[in-house]
Amino acid sequence: MHASQFDGNAAFSGGGFMPSQATQTTDTGFSPAKNRDAQGLLPLTVKQISEAFHSSDEKSNFVVDGVDVNNVSLVGMLFNKAERVTDVGFVLDDGTGRIDCHRWVNETIDTKEMEGIQDGMYVEIHGHLKGFQGKRQLVAFSVRPVTDFNQITHHFIQCIYVHTYNTKLQKMQGGTSQMVNPVLNTPLQNGSKGYQAAAIPNQFSGQFSSDGLKGIDQMVLDYLQQPSNLAQEKGVHRDEIARQLKIPLDKIMESIRSLEEEGLIYSTIDECHYKSTGNG
Amino acid sequence: MDTSNPAVLVNGELLRMYVGRKVRTVIQVLQSNGGITTGKSTDEHQLVIKGSPPPFPLTNFVEVIGVADSNQSICAERWTNFGNTFDTFSYNQLCQLANGEYKSLFL
Repeated sequence: MHASQFDGNAAFSGGGFMPSQATQTTDTGFSPAKNRDAQGLLPLTVKQISEAFHSSDEKSNFVVDGVDVNNVSLVGMLFNKAERVTDVGFVLDDGTGRIDCHRWVNETIDTKEMEGIQDGMYVEIHGHLKGFQGKRQLVAFSVRPVTDFNQITHHFIQCIYVHTYNTKLQKMQGGTSQMVNPVLNTPLQNGSKGYQAAAIPNQFSGQFSSDGLKGIDQMVLDYLQQPSNLAQEKGVHRDEIARQLKIPLDKIMESIRSLEEEGLIYSTIDECHYKSTGNG
Repeated sequence: MDTSNPAVLVNGELLRMYVGRKVRTVIQVLQSNGGITTGKSTDEHQLVIKGSPPPFPLTNFVEVIGVADSNQSICAERWTNFGNTFDTFSYNQLCQLANGEYKSLFL
């Protein structure tokens, strides 16, 4: 089995021996489709989590305001702390609801951090939201006591801000997500996950299209980034690119060379077939 | 997950809307003797908090979680010291947002 296909999170959901942080870094590292936008820390209320859209079996499976939810920050009171051999379980109540959490204790630093936390304390939690056996729970990787209580106010204001930002963004993107590629006259999709690109700003445009690529380069790259072309293992023949874009082959070759130098595309089975290095 | 029993963020003005329900608010303690504590809400209403205060001394600002008893009193279940300085203006604004335009995030 190929290492990048191994899905630690799915295989060991809730298992007792996978360090939560290690699992996470592994699965983000192997997925070029996700950039850091999708991995950010989203401030949420428990109420928002309870209403988050849960899309079945995938591992990054929660959606709030059209944005994938992986890591979240919550602020609230901690209750029912239960120390077990490998982890500490507790309930977080942020006033909007309660959510079960647990924290693996692998290192002394984990143990130390959790030792200082008692029932009834206000804490800020950073953790990974998980659906496990139909229940939503948080695998915390940081549990810190609140020392300045303005932090509580701040957290909720931040929840409101992020909610507003994401919902507004969605409305804006709603109008423009179906851009048409003038050359091909087909809807232009940024990568294979159109809805994600629409939900998360600049997922691809920031990476590939903006920085000073000139006309033909951009067209070639766009063509190679079409989902159907990304899906082809051997990539696309340069003649086909020339034919589809109705551009002379020598111009295409010029673009191919410069895109290759930039590391945006690579040759596959021979020097005639090319493929985008982006999301495959 | 359980969102059936939220504690609503309130100020003095909003308290009246939640009589009989669980609320939380921050007051500036004015006086505390025995089972009655009086304090000033973040929007400058005087509130009465019933129920014995915790065994530790109260700081200037205190968060109270309890059941709204009337439009100016709360039966406290839980007290948390919020220290001697607190941004009451922001908290008050938050109460208004959490009960207004952005209620769906909280209730």
